[in-house]
Amino acid sequence: MTSTLPAVTTEKVPAQRQPAPTTGSTGRTVTPRRLRSSRPDLLLCGALLVAILAVQGWNIADYPTLSDDEGTYLAQAWAVQQGRGLAHYTYWYDHPPLGWIQIAVLTWIPSWLSPGSMTVGSMRVVMLIVSAASAVLVYVLARRLSLPRWAAGLAMALFGLSPLSVVLQREIFLDNLAVMWTLLAFTLAASPSRHLWHHFGAGLAAATAVLTKETMLVVLPALFVTMWRHSHRDTRKFAMTGAVTACALIGFSYPLFALLKGELLPGGGHVSLWEGITYQMTRPGSGSILDQGSGSYGVLHSWLYYDRVLPLGGLAGALLLVATWRWSVTARALAGPALTVAILTGLALRPSGYLPAMYVIQALPFLALVLAGGTASVAQVVLRRWRADGEKRYLTGGRYALAAVLALAAGAYVLPRWYDGDRTAVTADANAPYRSASKWLSTEVADPKDTRVLVDDALWLDLVHDGYRPGLGVIWFYKADLDPAVTKTLPHGWKDLDYVVASPTVRRDAVDLPNVKAAIEHSKPVATFGTGPDRIEIRRIKTTGTAVGGVR
Amino acid sequence: MLSRQGALGIWGDLLLTSVFIAAVSLALFWMAAFTLWWQMHAWRTPEVLASTRFSRPDGDEHVSFSLLLPARHEQAVLDHTIQRLLESTHTDFEIIVIVGHDDPETTAVAEAAAERDPRVRVVVDTHEKKNKPKAMNTALPHCRGDVVGVFDAEDQVHPELLAHVDHAFRTTHADVVQGGVQLINFHSSWYSLRNCLEYFFWFRSRLHLHAQKGFIPLGGNTVFVRTDVLREADGWDPDCLAEDCDLGVRLSSVGKKVVVAYDSDMVTREETPGSLMSLLKQRTRWNQGFLQVYRKKDWRQLPGFGQRLLARYTLMTPFLQAFSGVVIPLNAAVALFLDVPVGIAFLTFLPLVTAAVTFVFEIVGLHDFGKQYGLRVRLVHYLKLVVGGPFYQVLLAGAAIRAVWREQRGRNDWELTSHVGAHLNDTAAIREDVPA
Repeated sequence: MTSTLPAVTTEKVPAQRQPAPTTGSTGRTVTPRRLRSSRPDLLLCGALLVAILAVQGWNIADYPTLSDDEGTYLAQAWAVQQGRGLAHYTYWYDHPPLGWIQIAVLTWIPSWLSPGSMTVGSMRVVMLIVSAASAVLVYVLARRLSLPRWAAGLAMALFGLSPLSVVLQREIFLDNLAVMWTLLAFTLAASPSRHLWHHFGAGLAAATAVLTKETMLVVLPALFVTMWRHSHRDTRKFAMTGAVTACALIGFSYPLFALLKGELLPGGGHVSLWEGITYQMTRPGSGSILDQGSGSYGVLHSWLYYDRVLPLGGLAGALLLVATWRWSVTARALAGPALTVAILTGLALRPSGYLPAMYVIQALPFLALVLAGGTASVAQVVLRRWRADGEKRYLTGGRYALAAVLALAAGAYVLPRWYDGDRTAVTADANAPYRSASKWLSTEVADPKDTRVLVDDALWLDLVHDGYRPGLGVIWFYKADLDPAVTKTLPHGWKDLDYVVASPTVRRDAVDLPNVKAAIEHSKPVATFGTGPDRIEIRRIKTTGTAVGGVR
Repeated sequence: MLSRQGALGIWGDLLLTSVFIAAVSLALFWMAAFTLWWQMHAWRTPEVLASTRFSRPDGDEHVSFSLLLPARHEQAVLDHTIQRLLESTHTDFEIIVIVGHDDPETTAVAEAAAERDPRVRVVVDTHEKKNKPKAMNTALPHCRGDVVGVFDAEDQVHPELLAHVDHAFRTTHADVVQGGVQLINFHSSWYSLRNCLEYFFWFRSRLHLHAQKGFIPLGGNTVFVRTDVLREADGWDPDCLAEDCDLGVRLSSVGKKVVVAYDSDMVTREETPGSLMSLLKQRTRWNQGFLQVYRKKDWRQLPGFGQRLLARYTLMTPFLQAFSGVVIPLNAAVALFLDVPVGIAFLTFLPLVTAAVTFVFEIVGLHDFGKQYGLRVRLVHYLKLVVGGPFYQVLLAGAAIRAVWREQRGRNDWELTSHVGAHLNDTAAIREDVPA
């Protein structure tokens, strides 16, 4: 226990780096102490990063279809940039605001250079920064979890190049930002130097992740496990408490914010954090994932449509790691990611839960890590298990041949599918109808400033740049029914409106929104872009010109 | 938040208030953050923690010790301390008990011990006005050992300490070795709990950072200095109220190498002052001493800018502590009750956040303290620790203000702390208020 030198003065003292007793830590650390000075790691990681950025970046604005949620967050980021508060409508604690505050920061410079570029399609570019950071973090985390170099590269490639990842990571979703912070938290938790302030930083990053997207809360136990395994017995007490404290203190800033604004608890005439949480917790479930015809089933199959390898292979990898827990060092090293996958799978399987389409985003890096870890385990078994020192050459050769066959088979299965998926991603144009609708509304409407139009969130910023009045001129369609501040400007309902842009989202949700529904019923299309269920119709309200009242 | 438009007139421009609050909050935040960072030094990594311990002695002994034991009206505990020192496993040391010419009781105990064992010698200090540095300077010419060690009359010294120190001197070529000192009686009162923990964080952690940075205020005992180095430095400053701190600052400022080592089973055990008042007086003396060391400007010879900054900050700490203790709650109150923007109100919570982190680490520290010393820390102690925090802060602030006031008035006499422990019941508070 006492085999080390005391601290000393003088400036030339070498940093106190005596090897500490390794008992109590994970026991396996072959990772280079400083990854950033390891040339092969840098080359591999750099090459993969270029590939990921190329595949994700090419055609980013045109594929996939603009999502309503992207519009919501970017518009709120725009509101932050414009100094209009946390949202251009009343901020009602639907999500913690840190996510779109970060989007506001990321898009600050481009939107300052060219204000008109602050639209969903063009601002998807900033998500490349997030994707790049996350991809690099996956690599570093894999190395810190003692995966060999090739497996770390595999994890990074799975995470960044799976068609499912490419589609989802291109979109301006809070989940993508939250994933980046979560990965940072895991990476710091697995810091090889086991530094107190790295663990503290992991707590801060975890809190940031949760404040970016609150669903990250469920991943915290897995982070805790990772940190526990990577901390040293002698300093664990301080490291763990430090991390938990940091996380809790930053996390409490959200309720504190609500308290300072007087909006913590429900009360007359204002929104509240309490009601926001209640809303999120009581969202109607989307049914069991196993029940064909349920919403959850549809969501699952929309993921599997893009890629089966990462979600299903990841689950298989997680199962393999759990099953080999007793024997495999890799399995134990990957306890954190495997637990994350287990938690997220468990939550997705709840029959009464609400399963949004972006749910899988937070699982992607962990699926990639456990799949790579599982592959590394298999490789270990094939190449090293039961291998005596004087093993006959043909046996060793057989091992390598088997490994090569397995790798080729996997490649033959995965690569064509991914090639197809990624080729669609870099060539398809899914947003032509949106662009045309935006163009039509900017050129064919005589007086945008005095025109009131219902649009979905994805188009909203386009119209703001075209001169429509943000908020009450160009209106998020559902606000016409759900936001008292908007409905009171529509005393005559649909008659106070001029246009409704019926995109798939608007048509889908209009069922439950009387004002929107009435507006669609009392209007006729003046321009239609695209065909079938994906078409976008610009519908003019029949009373246009005679509408009276309303705040114009 | 209370919205009081009318109040703005009284409080002046809102912007000015906001800027002021933001500046104060950020300053407090960084102060608290740095203090916390340093306080947690030893636990930064397992390697650092391992490096703060004594290395195991190899059985070789080359260094001879002269152990100074200044004693004043401490006849009740002195003999026990000498006996325990004599039990040391080291083979080459002498004990020099320093007694005052006006203190026959203690002198008698010392001389009796000297008769029993040739390793014990007695030196009589004849200064008219007595204090610890003068006593030790009196004994310095009589030291025959290679290394001078200092202990207090009530110290419980571990028998193997000298062997470890010997090893540390030889393996690190240090000029000074500072061992750990630890107050143990955390259960005595709410303030002794905090006092013990202060020592724990200081000797266990913070002092090692100072040693590494090359600027170190030494402790008052369990400190070992090479005799020639000490003579070269003219011993202790007889006019300084924190002669131990001063010696460390002077030695490290001229580049002497200081080594700190802390082992929970090797620390010198002490106890907290017996009353709140004597703690206040002790702390006042230290603060005043720190202030004197600051004004002596020896630390300016430190070569590095960072070192000088650390010196400046460390020596000013008591006063910054006093300041922040008063300002943190005030700042938060201002943020809550004045109509400042939410962003600014947020900033005012930053110092509270660091305070909360410090609190949490103190709780963990108390747990570790209990583990290290095999002491049973109960829930009530954790509660005392938390609840007592603000009150202790008030005490520290009081001592800091008192120190400035006394220094301003030129009162730099010693207000010695009396130790009233289980085995010290007959020692009354003797020199708490020596007239100037």
